[in-house]
Amino acid sequence: MSRRGILLPLLGCLLLSLGCAAAHAPPKKDYSAFRAADPRSILVVPVVNNTNNVEAPSLFLSTLSIPVGERGYYVFPVNMVKRVLEDEGLSDADLVHMADPRRLCNLFGADAVLYVSIEAWTAQYLILDTSVTVEFDYVMKDGKTGDTIWKEHRRVVNSSAGQSRGSGNPFVDLVAMAVVAAVAKAAPDYMPLARQANNGVIHTLPPGPHSTRYRTDELSPK
Amino acid sequence: MTARRPSFLLLAAFAAAAAGCAPKTAYLWGDYDSALYDHYRYPQDTERYVERLGQIVQKAEVEKDKVPPGLYAEYGYALFEAGRLDEAIAYYGKEREQWEESRVFMDKMIRNTGRLKENRPGPAPAGGEK
Repeated sequence: MSRRGILLPLLGCLLLSLGCAAAHAPPKKDYSAFRAADPRSILVVPVVNNTNNVEAPSLFLSTLSIPVGERGYYVFPVNMVKRVLEDEGLSDADLVHMADPRRLCNLFGADAVLYVSIEAWTAQYLILDTSVTVEFDYVMKDGKTGDTIWKEHRRVVNSSAGQSRGSGNPFVDLVAMAVVAAVAKAAPDYMPLARQANNGVIHTLPPGPHSTRYRTDELSPK
Repeated sequence: MTARRPSFLLLAAFAAAAAGCAPKTAYLWGDYDSALYDHYRYPQDTERYVERLGQIVQKAEVEKDKVPPGLYAEYGYALFEAGRLDEAIAYYGKEREQWEESRVFMDKMIRNTGRLKENRPGPAPAGGEK
């Protein structure tokens, strides 16, 4: 009896920890190209806009430096880079994205270029619900070879009606409550959603050279 | 009532875990992102932009290794656009000193700004390495 009394909670703990481990395990991705390139510095270039919202690209550009810098990479000053590229005749983000990444890196002395395009930046107004959607494509290219060394895609949808109902999962509700401030009927604020997307995506990058966790999460060779 | 308590406890535990996970940033970014955001939203208000970046630099500089990458340069460029070339060069120099990754770019900017300064003292249009 007493043995079972100990065993059951133990088993429970084990299951819990297994569940946690599974939840925290990053999705399997091939980082060999990224690790081979091993960039120290990242040039964030102006954002390509595939939506009708003219303001979106420059507003979104302002949210990229912090997550990249905090991840442990040297991030070039985004506004200065934007202006210098304009002086170089690359005033249009589409032109920048079409330019040779090796040329761009050479111009700034960068190791890699981060290209982001906005695929969605919309608000939908219904009677009881405002739904805000942002969606981005992220591609990083190596400055030496010009090859793609990492890419991600992220879509974040925030609906005001969805939050008031609650999901049944207290953690999801907590997160949702934190995000609900993002939705204002008069002027939807896309920025918290954009930050949320960036934070999630940039965390899939291995920690950079300025991070204390640089090279600590590398898998042992197979 | 008693059945509710575990869920409260769970909630509290999650909240505590979330607070523990709350990122402590490596650098003092201040409101760098909002300063940029407002600069794009109200591009005519350049004075305010320069002032805000200056305040962020000032606050971050209290701890030298907490100055974010690119901040000195961004401020330097804002000064440059305001025609304050000497100060711009000084901040490009600070960026260069703090981040070896910025050397190629900062060397070019320092050289170009120096050249502009010789050719025409006072406010100058934006100019990059040709």
